[in-house]
Amino acid sequence: MEEQKIKQYFLKIIKEEEDVSIGVAAIRTLLEIIRQSKSETVQELELILKDAINIMKNLNIPVAGITSGCELFLRFITLTTLDASLKEVRARMLERGQMFLKKLNESRNKIVRIASDFILDGSSILTHSRSRVVLQTLIEASKQQRQFHVFVTISAPDDSGKHMHKDLEAAGIPCTIILDSAIGYIMEQVNFIMVGAESVVESGGIVNKVGSYTMAVCAKEMKKPFYVLTESFKFTRLFPLNQTDLPAEYKYNSEKRKNIDLQKAHPLVDYTPPSYITLLFTDLGILTPSAISDELIKLYL
Amino acid sequence: MSDKKGAVGPDGLTKKERRALKVQAKQGEGNPAPVENKTQDNKKAVASEKDVKKIADTPVLAELSEKEKRKLEWQKKLAEQNVSNKEKEALSKAELKHKRREQQEAQRLAKAKEDESKKVPVKVEVTVEKEKSPLKKVGSPVKKPDIKKNVKSMQKVQLVQHLYCEDQLKSEFGELIVNYKNVHPAFIRLGVQYSTKTILGSNARCLALLSALKHLVEDLHTPPKQEYCRYLESVLQTCTAYLQNCRPLAVSMVNALRHFKLQLTHINNKLSDNEKKAMLIEVIEIYINDDIKKAGDAISLRVNEKINKSGDVILTYGCSSLIRKILLEAHSEGKDFEVIVADGRPLLEGRELLRRLVQAGIRCSYVLINSLSCVMGNVTKVLLGAHALLTNGYVMSRIGTAQVALVANAFNKPVLVCCETYKFSEKVQTDSFVHNEIGDENALSKIDTAQDQSPLIAFKENSKLMPLTLLYDVTPPDMVTAVVTELAILPCTSVPVVLRINANEVN
Repeated sequence: MEEQKIKQYFLKIIKEEEDVSIGVAAIRTLLEIIRQSKSETVQELELILKDAINIMKNLNIPVAGITSGCELFLRFITLTTLDASLKEVRARMLERGQMFLKKLNESRNKIVRIASDFILDGSSILTHSRSRVVLQTLIEASKQQRQFHVFVTISAPDDSGKHMHKDLEAAGIPCTIILDSAIGYIMEQVNFIMVGAESVVESGGIVNKVGSYTMAVCAKEMKKPFYVLTESFKFTRLFPLNQTDLPAEYKYNSEKRKNIDLQKAHPLVDYTPPSYITLLFTDLGILTPSAISDELIKLYL
Repeated sequence: MSDKKGAVGPDGLTKKERRALKVQAKQGEGNPAPVENKTQDNKKAVASEKDVKKIADTPVLAELSEKEKRKLEWQKKLAEQNVSNKEKEALSKAELKHKRREQQEAQRLAKAKEDESKKVPVKVEVTVEKEKSPLKKVGSPVKKPDIKKNVKSMQKVQLVQHLYCEDQLKSEFGELIVNYKNVHPAFIRLGVQYSTKTILGSNARCLALLSALKHLVEDLHTPPKQEYCRYLESVLQTCTAYLQNCRPLAVSMVNALRHFKLQLTHINNKLSDNEKKAMLIEVIEIYINDDIKKAGDAISLRVNEKINKSGDVILTYGCSSLIRKILLEAHSEGKDFEVIVADGRPLLEGRELLRRLVQAGIRCSYVLINSLSCVMGNVTKVLLGAHALLTNGYVMSRIGTAQVALVANAFNKPVLVCCETYKFSEKVQTDSFVHNEIGDENALSKIDTAQDQSPLIAFKENSKLMPLTLLYDVTPPDMVTAVVTELAILPCTSVPVVLRINANEVN
């Protein structure tokens, strides 16, 4: 597949299927590349895949989800014995890729199942930006006839909170949209915070839409539990020491990276250190932040 | 090396010879005769030992007669003991100890002479003994040791009293080498270097140990009817016991020794001694190369990723060989950064680090630990070395490290601890008192920059004054942002996972 085609395929998934997270879209693109590739050696195929990952990273889309998903995918499909003929290898890779994808699709349901139990009758919940898994969890809890109230931040600059607000109202869940600057004001009224994550890093902290860190610090001060709902394919081998240490490709999209002085640009994401996170709900179970690093070691070492 | 040499260090004594020696020693103990007589006795004993050696070389018949002889000796000694038992009780424990020591010393001297007469090329041991013996002679006839002990017991700090007991064995430097006839010269030298702190820092100590171990493996001759590996194991046991007396073993050393011993048990018995030696030396070299050197390289690479191209101010404490390597490598990569070396008395190791960094042309400042809060505001990263990483995520390191981490935490600066995985330990510790090491109290009263004498100088006469120098402290995991290991950058809490992985790899 040529560069243009890869871009088209990838962007098409994101545009048409709202429900699919960026990581999954990237993985599906990679699978398509394997299916269509005419490469003759395994190494060549791997190179092509790596090029494709770079192409996707350079689109105007947050990179965090793509990096972790693709890295895991590459690792998973190449874990088979690769000494057969290329045809067989490709078939095996595709098979494993499909298996991986299936697991990913199931993972969200699993999280929804375990996290919705935490939403009790009469509770009020604060959430940030728009996370698919948080949305589905809330909908699931509402289907179980629980009464609760949701506060959603507008979450500038892309106002994704408004989108979330619309979705929640459509599901019949009582919700209020609040200003990003009203996080401190609203904190004393809520019972707990539920956010998604773009990626989970080795320290057990998360990288998420800018403003999550503010929310976590505020929650810690007011002693409210801060829950993160995330699929395990978002686990990344990255250890940011602080906000400045976060890679630029995470914080700014490719256009800004090329053109603007980064000192003046607004970051897209921020890093929430593990000490502010109470629990992470993943398809591997409910984990404490320190367990994340253990899982990552298991995955990669 | 020759067999004769073996009789001194990793000795080639046969079982019988050793038993004979033991009997002689006991004879001495049981005998409450005055000192002069005893030394004479010993000379005799040594003479008989010589006989034993001669006989050992002759055929079986001679040995038999030797056995009978010894039996007689033994019976005689028993009788003597019975007679003297009452007298013995009358003697205080201290006196007994004293006498025993004198006797051992005499024995050793005699043996040294014997060795010289054999013209064995043993460099270290002989010289060490020569150094020690005059000291000994002065000390022994007077009752001084008892007095010293009393003063010492008064000067124990209540809180860490349990830490002193290991200390007693090595109390006076002169008594350090008692009767370790099985200890290889390389280990004797090592022990002295450890206890005088010429070799300091857990990496350096481990490397020195491994190189001594290499010498031991090379020089060891298996006595007849013994298997090389088993024999090496027993010799190693005495060697490490000796080192332990000189200074408690570092975690790095314990882990290295454990690895070596494990490999020792895996070696095929059917191989010849030389093949076994070659294999063991390879094991040691691989360990040095993989677990220490390459691990250091990998850590250096990882930390370098975290050091910015310019503008970083890195604070470090004490003198860690790994940190030095990291900083020098970052500098040679053309990164522009500044280093603040924090240091603490009485060891002042930071000066050495400072010297090396300045030599390399890195911009440095040097502060003592009490001015840490003044400089911490400008720091961007704190890099620390470690003595060991404990299972509960606590970092054991040179005393003062916990304070540095605490101040860094108060200023919200990232704290990176650099530690190879071979220093990870299964131990758990939550404070610095349960297990620690007592340093030299005298060092506290010396200030090389002060013009006047330290007021502490007379602390020995003052029973109310109790100086205390601990060598290590532990830093809780919530004060450490990350641990950089050769596997990955990890939070402190992942130590048990790494330990589990390492254990699995070995299996």
